[in-house]
Amino acid sequence: MRGQWQRTGAILSSRRWGLILSGLLLASLGVVLLCSRFGAALVPWGDVFPALVHALKTGEWDQSSIGTSGVILMQVRLPRVLMGFLVGGSLAAVGVTLQALLRNPLADPYVLGVSSGAALGAAVTMLLGIGTTMALLPVLPLCGFAGGLLALVVIYRLAQSQGRLPIHSLLLAGVILNAILTALIMFITSIMEPNRSAGLMAWLMGSLIAPGYPALGVLAGYAVFVLAIVMQKAQMLNVLTLGEETARSLGIDTERMKKQLFVLTALLTGAVVSVSGMIGFVGMVVPHAVRLVLGSDHRLLLPASVLVGGMFLVAADTIARTLFAPAEIPVGIVTALIGGPFFLYLLLWRKDRML
Amino acid sequence: MKRRQQGILTGMPFMAHVSSRSFVDDMGRKIYLAKAPTRIVSLAPSVTETLFAIGAGSQVVGVTQFCDFPPEAAQKPKVGYANPNLESLVALQPDLIITPQQFLKLDLLGKLEQLKIPVFILADRSVEDIFSHIQTLGRMLDRSTEAVALGMDLRQEIARLKARTQGQPPVRVLYVLNSQPLITVGPGSFIDQLIGLVGGVNVAAKSATPYPRLSMEVVLQEDPEVLVFPIGKAEGISESEQQAWRQWTTLTAVKQGRLRQIPADLLNRPGPRIGKGLELLADILHPSPPASPATGERP
Repeated sequence: MRGQWQRTGAILSSRRWGLILSGLLLASLGVVLLCSRFGAALVPWGDVFPALVHALKTGEWDQSSIGTSGVILMQVRLPRVLMGFLVGGSLAAVGVTLQALLRNPLADPYVLGVSSGAALGAAVTMLLGIGTTMALLPVLPLCGFAGGLLALVVIYRLAQSQGRLPIHSLLLAGVILNAILTALIMFITSIMEPNRSAGLMAWLMGSLIAPGYPALGVLAGYAVFVLAIVMQKAQMLNVLTLGEETARSLGIDTERMKKQLFVLTALLTGAVVSVSGMIGFVGMVVPHAVRLVLGSDHRLLLPASVLVGGMFLVAADTIARTLFAPAEIPVGIVTALIGGPFFLYLLLWRKDRML
Repeated sequence: MKRRQQGILTGMPFMAHVSSRSFVDDMGRKIYLAKAPTRIVSLAPSVTETLFAIGAGSQVVGVTQFCDFPPEAAQKPKVGYANPNLESLVALQPDLIITPQQFLKLDLLGKLEQLKIPVFILADRSVEDIFSHIQTLGRMLDRSTEAVALGMDLRQEIARLKARTQGQPPVRVLYVLNSQPLITVGPGSFIDQLIGLVGGVNVAAKSATPYPRLSMEVVLQEDPEVLVFPIGKAEGISESEQQAWRQWTTLTAVKQGRLRQIPADLLNRPGPRIGKGLELLADILHPSPPASPATGERP
């Protein structure tokens, strides 16, 4: 791992950059289209497209004009595929950023406790039986987001005791906070009526059921906003991975940058968890896999990880929702069972090449 | 071996009487009760309701926090449901613990066996299981007369509802156990059977598990004519979650406004009140008089 970590300085030609990213972009498009093809229900595209085209022309975009197949495709499956892409991409981006910020290959959006904070917020909503929407406001995502933010504030205060943000105390605080929050979630499931706690557990294990296009748009807004800023700082992340002293000697205000990026990634994690539950694994493994293949220049690593993370989660969710159709399995199980062995293989393959 | 020892210890000749006083639970474990237990802990609302219904309520010394029927049951000392506390269980000095299979912890079972506290495990996979549990509990508690009467009443009630709904056109139903993500009942659950008994067709019929997490795509395709939401304080689907279903306007159930509620404790509990729950379900599926308008609104 150390070897790749230090290849940061390798020259990245803009031609290689463009080539790889456009390749990945095309592949992403392909994966999204292909995965929209599969689902528990059979949607004959030949029937659906005329209806969709008609709806587009006339502007009558209601459920009766596009038919049941159209509704399944456009309002159940496609939003879900897009949501999978957004969630996977966001988690991977957050993973890349945190791994660089903390210079710790184990850093992951979940290690810092923000995701469990969001999950706790959502669990409390379910315990109180408030429901998922209230007067058209998505209560569940909002409460999840509030929980994540609260966890962030706590961890920030804890770690910031000396006006600085030392990495070891940050990680330690994250791990401990995570343990506390997870315990609270477990406490809630244990006092709930068993049928209800089963529902909560099912949500916690990851569920990409998209709440609709407006919510998707909001999530996309978060993702684009955070990504744009992190991308701007990609070169600085490169420098930071060489060591904090080096970065400071080059005139980078590392403390400020760390705080800024830390808050941003926490925000994105909170937003993601509040709509999808706890889908671990993507944020940690995808950046590593991409780094093994493409090297660790963040100008390439970051966008590439976003695309690969998106594709990975879309593919995993397609398996989760079709393998035992008409029933579904939690997507978190699939990401771990498919991604884990693949990652190990990649690790072995790469070691082989290097020796 | 154990039976023999117990037989000797209790001074019973372990021959003729023994067989009639030993019971096999749904996990195939055999227990022997020398006499009817007088201190029973029930670890499920359905078990508590059954015990009270056969007149053994006074023998119940511990219940779960969800045992709220009959009202007297709620006054009994509480032990946990999914996570009962071992010490509080032992402190109640039960001579029998009755528990559903679903939420049973194996380590707890092992410890209770070690402490020689008889544990009887009930698995409710079918409607027939509910009847057989009533009979078994009746035999155990020397309340066979009451149990037989209760079982008869329940059978008659179900038969009556079955006859009433027979010949009516089948109605496609989705029973929403949990809304987000969607969890429903599938084959191998007693609720799925109950739906079938009163002329309903479960849209999750192709699922492989009793309580599947069902794909929304399948719901849209199978197009249920009625959505049934269990409602209640501790369990059940909230009003806002029910309303969220109205976004699926291609569903026949939404078009016709047939989103219906049933008190969760009537239908979700495999106990003596399923007759009442089933009657509500029958009314929902086949509103009487049968020739009511297409909106399906009950008069």
